[in-house]
Amino acid sequence: MQSDYSNPFQITKAVDFSDDEIKAYWVDFPIEGGFSKIVSPRSAMPMFILGGKGSGKTHLMRYFSYNLQLLRYNGDLLNCINKEGYLGIYLRCGGLNASRFMRKGQPDDRWSTIFSFYMDLSMTQLLLATICDLYNDSSEIALNEEKICQNILKLFDHEEKYGVKKLSELVNKIDEIRKRIDVEINNCAITGSLNVKILASPGKLVFGTPQILSKMLPSLRSIIFVYLLDEFENLNKDQQKYINTLVREKEPPATFKIGVRLYGIKTSLTYSADEEIKQGSEYEKIVLDSQFREKAVKSLYRPFVSRLCLKRINKLYYTISDSVNGVNPIAEFGEYFEHQAKSDYDSTETKELVSKYKPKERPYIRRLEKQLKEAAISGTVCGVKENEDIKKILNSVLCEDYPILEKLNIFMLYQKWSKNNNLVNSCSEIEKSCSQFILAKSEEAEYSQLYKHWHKDLLAQLYRDCDRRMQYSGIETIIDMSHGLPRNLLIILKCIYKWSIFNGEKPFTKDQISIKSQMQGIKEASEWFFQDARSVGESGSVLSDSISRLAQLFRECRFSDKPSEVSLNSFSTDLTKVSKKAQITLDLAVKWSLLVLIPGGQKDKNSKRLDQKYQLNRMLSPRWDLPIARRGVISLNANEVNAIFDDEHSNEFEEILKVRIDRMSAPFGVKQLNTECKKQMNLF
Amino acid sequence: MVDYCILYKNILKDGTDWSDGNPWDLFISAYNSSERVNHVYNNIAAKKKQWVTHAEYCYSEKDCPEDSYNAIDFDEAKVIQGIFNHLKLNSLEKLRICIDITGFMRPNMMFMLLYIKHLGAKKVDIIYAEPSRYIEKEKTVFSIESSKEVKQVAGFEGQHNIDNNNDILIIGTGYDHQLIAQVAESKENARKIQIYGFPSLSADMYQENILRVHKASESLDCGPGGNHPDNYFAPANDPFVTANILHEIVENVNNEKKITNLYLCPIGTKVQALGFAIFYLTECVNTATSIIFPFFEKYTKETSKGHSRIWKYSLEFL
Repeated sequence: MQSDYSNPFQITKAVDFSDDEIKAYWVDFPIEGGFSKIVSPRSAMPMFILGGKGSGKTHLMRYFSYNLQLLRYNGDLLNCINKEGYLGIYLRCGGLNASRFMRKGQPDDRWSTIFSFYMDLSMTQLLLATICDLYNDSSEIALNEEKICQNILKLFDHEEKYGVKKLSELVNKIDEIRKRIDVEINNCAITGSLNVKILASPGKLVFGTPQILSKMLPSLRSIIFVYLLDEFENLNKDQQKYINTLVREKEPPATFKIGVRLYGIKTSLTYSADEEIKQGSEYEKIVLDSQFREKAVKSLYRPFVSRLCLKRINKLYYTISDSVNGVNPIAEFGEYFEHQAKSDYDSTETKELVSKYKPKERPYIRRLEKQLKEAAISGTVCGVKENEDIKKILNSVLCEDYPILEKLNIFMLYQKWSKNNNLVNSCSEIEKSCSQFILAKSEEAEYSQLYKHWHKDLLAQLYRDCDRRMQYSGIETIIDMSHGLPRNLLIILKCIYKWSIFNGEKPFTKDQISIKSQMQGIKEASEWFFQDARSVGESGSVLSDSISRLAQLFRECRFSDKPSEVSLNSFSTDLTKVSKKAQITLDLAVKWSLLVLIPGGQKDKNSKRLDQKYQLNRMLSPRWDLPIARRGVISLNANEVNAIFDDEHSNEFEEILKVRIDRMSAPFGVKQLNTECKKQMNLF
Repeated sequence: MVDYCILYKNILKDGTDWSDGNPWDLFISAYNSSERVNHVYNNIAAKKKQWVTHAEYCYSEKDCPEDSYNAIDFDEAKVIQGIFNHLKLNSLEKLRICIDITGFMRPNMMFMLLYIKHLGAKKVDIIYAEPSRYIEKEKTVFSIESSKEVKQVAGFEGQHNIDNNNDILIIGTGYDHQLIAQVAESKENARKIQIYGFPSLSADMYQENILRVHKASESLDCGPGGNHPDNYFAPANDPFVTANILHEIVENVNNEKKITNLYLCPIGTKVQALGFAIFYLTECVNTATSIIFPFFEKYTKETSKGHSRIWKYSLEFL
């Protein structure tokens, strides 16, 4: 039996990969120039690489680091680095344990100064260690190594007599200085004193060292030194301010590429007169997952991640790592997954669902019957006054062989009901349209259009009516669920694999993965995402409660008698009118990828005002039986948004939800019949 | 190798004289509403007894015991230094000290050990009272809110390496899966190793622990329980075996490949946290090792019912 250890998706984080694995599993983005074009490592312009958790920042940044450059070129490395035009110095900010540069009875500005010096030492140490490795035994450096060391030592304001002649010795000396600072910080909690001597002005080592190397080593003359600073979110505000200052004050040939989560930027201020760094002129910014979702490249995301997955499968089971150049990777990957068999109007799938009921006792038919009876008594339905009318209506909507069309007939009937039309008349028209549609399979205007629009929502309702969970399966659904975050896809696949093994299948080798295993894996991954994607502290619970309320609203709308929007998982709102707290929660939800901000916004139907538009992350859809694809958008007013996203107004949510859902539920707010309708009734 | 198990541990029985007729000079305990904490305080014989009320428990002043040192700070160094300033003690060299760690916040307890060593103490007796059971079993809520930040414990911050290609995070697993996940993600690049409290304080607690850890398995990137090579076990009530296991893990991992940075995070029982602190103070000072912890500002006042065994561990500082 296969085990978890043969799960090709067991590792979902780039940090868990060795350098060799980063290289082995690398798949370039299918545009001209690939990721190099997106990240532009040879560009002197600094860049912030933002992305949600699992968007691929670390994989990308490590790919451009020296360790990977080393693996890419076995021959003349210096020559190849010159060809690439840059040298990548990768530093994980998390490793600095930056939170220790705080408190302990010391003033904040003292800590800022020490951190700046510590950061400079760390970057310089890494750079010099890289150079040592790069020029190992090279005659080019042997000629003037001592001179390089002397020049670098001159960058220290308080030059100490180190007697350093080799770069490796200089690396050790810098390491010693750094560790002396570590000891001081550690003891500060006990002694209350912090005896750290700042030996170099801020930035001097970081920019001065590459300048010296560039000047004194001809083979580095035309290359850019790229400091790749990952996990920027682990730095506090003052520490980020220092890095922002370095970005602003950068001196060639050094530059920065900074990896940070969407929520990770705490300030854009610098120490240069407390001014902000300016996007465009001082740095560029890319948001990785937004790029994957952008319309222009959206169609490339599916083949990109399919290749990524196929590479893992092929390497693990077929020991081939570079065979993923097929013209249709989505189809190739999709072959591993069982598909729902196609049938006319989903008849195979839906007839199985309703098989336990007699035709006239299908749950939605019985519900309609009950609603009509109650409405007839209360006088809130037009055209129905006696049992015969109800029988006629029920007979008209029946469509035994195609339950989905039955659902559509009822949906159309609800539409007529909400407009106060005479239902006895209307049901005949619906029956006629349905028959014509089946017989001719025609594109009969209204009926056909309604079917195209609503059949997925109606199918979801059918599942729920029959006490079954909505099905999510097929590779395109799985990829789309990941919503531009490749790690989400890997986690879904990891869960699916585990369930497949549990269900006795042999995935990726012998069997297709059953729909049942796909569904179980998808549900598990969706639940994980909801638990995982949230901020810490109090705001985390506010955020998850808010998302739950929003999803509840979407779900109640989708499963109402007459949903107002097709495939609802998005909303728009005028952000200027909602409370400050709701704005903060919305912002946080976007930063934690629970909501995705849709570029371009949404025009309000009445005022033509351009509102913000948000989509619930598709990873969450299965948790609440919501659609994966985005079509309809619900417009929420300020009260509704506040009730959902502002915990001070959350007690208003149930009432607000009821008001909205009542409008979509029989009898659709029909209080009493109008005169016209009464006249029609008298005709019977 | 240091064998921590040569240090003394014994069970203090109700109805006996825990001090063997020689009362301690100073007894310190952290106040909360648990019966076990108050039971120990009332039954111990000491010339000076000092309650400490941690700010995390959110007691109002009137609800704190009389003569308690009420910490207003969340900074472990400030809290502990505050206690000894309050007691007007600059040196502990000649005092017999006993500390009940049952109600202590873990970072405070760990810094306390470091600080009393700094003040010259050569020996200290540590008491821990086991609960009969936790109030809501595996669903017991310990920290009222999520941790604000995972950071190093003051004084346990080490000297870290820039190279982090073989960083290791050893987590003493506890009941709170969100904390486990948060810790694991704070050192995302580190290989994760778990130490489970087994045998647990009572038979069902191990199963409860496993149930909670499973929820954090994606962050830990391994299946909890089973034969995963990165799962280790140490008795939940024995700090000395815990320290021995830590020594063994570090030795094993170093033999495979030299550890670049070592992070220790005890979120299991207080006794387990004590074992982590003992190991650190004995073997890790001035190395690339630190103890990290998910800090939070609110903690449940009462998480357990009754008391079971009461342990005394006698530590000697090297």
